Amino acid sequence: MPEANISLYHRSVNGIASIIDIHGELTAFAEKPLIDTYTAACTPQTRAILLNFSGLQYMNSSGVGLIVTLVIRANSQKQCMMAYGLSEHYQHIFRLTRLTDAIQIFPGEREAVRALRTLPGVVTPKSRFQGRFLQGRK
Amino acid sequence: MAPFLQRFLSRKRTKRAGTKKRVQPGHVVASPASQSVSPPGDSASNDTDGWQMIQSYRVPSVLGNERLAMSYVAEALKSFHLTRRRLDQLGTAVAEATMNAMEHGNHYNPEIPVILQVFSANQAIAVRISDKGGSSQLLAPEHYETPDIEAKLAELQSPRGWGLFLIQNMVDEMHVRSDAENHSVELVMRLEGTTHTDQNA
Repeated sequence: MPEANISLYHRSVNGIASIIDIHGELTAFAEKPLIDTYTAACTPQTRAILLNFSGLQYMNSSGVGLIVTLVIRANSQKQCMMAYGLSEHYQHIFRLTRLTDAIQIFPGEREAVRALRTLPGVVTPKSRFQGRFLQGRK
Repeated sequence: MAPFLQRFLSRKRTKRAGTKKRVQPGHVVASPASQSVSPPGDSASNDTDGWQMIQSYRVPSVLGNERLAMSYVAEALKSFHLTRRRLDQLGTAVAEATMNAMEHGNHYNPEIPVILQVFSANQAIAVRISDKGGSSQLLAPEHYETPDIEAKLAELQSPRGWGLFLIQNMVDEMHVRSDAENHSVELVMRLEGTTHTDQNA
């Protein structure tokens, strides 16, 4: 049975947002690691989820479905969802599928983090990162 | 949207989550803006209507092997110097069609390979992905549901079901052929000029 070829890392941004770093392949095999990472990344204070696709090597239609699942969960938690680091090709796919209606796309982490300031009631002191590593590969 | 596409597309609720849909044979699913290029034709033929087979591959029907199919096609088309964008688009379409072939046609039986054939003509390239599904695996067009992000986010549709949609939007034309035993999807991409895939990007 093929294994998930994905590595996921989550880190906190000022306690109000979490970045999920995605490395590898976003396919059907990535479902459990991705959902587990999202769950671990969320605290009662989490207002936004930032998906870092800089390390994404491949995403298929199942991966798109996983992103939709994440958005559904984030919406239920009243969390804003952002993404950055997408290649031109995957930005195109996000636009085609209208995922861009639900997820704001930024060129890089700096711009995405800066956009957190637009969340109502957010004050952004100097960022501190606390990382946890979850691997989808045995 | 072209009337013939409207016949295929409906907003019925999906009956099962995660179901991949296959289009009935003979239906040309193409961009409304495109002018159809005659597909390569019968799998046994070569040099039909200017098409010449560049390469043929056998891809074992194993989960994850769609990546292999992508790499084969990229290798076969090296000399055509496709732009990065076009190559990525074709790669995605090939991967999705191959996944469908492996799952629905060959039921992930590693003993039954997906046949990948790459063709070139004067102004276009084509990739044919064939499996042993035949017409028995097909749904009538009205059962194919266009993925709708709003419906999916409202959980009225399964979050999955993007495969055929991606194929249609990544290549200039898609042709489906089937008989009692075999099923083929042909993906056509023009080499020059403005196409709907460039316009959509």
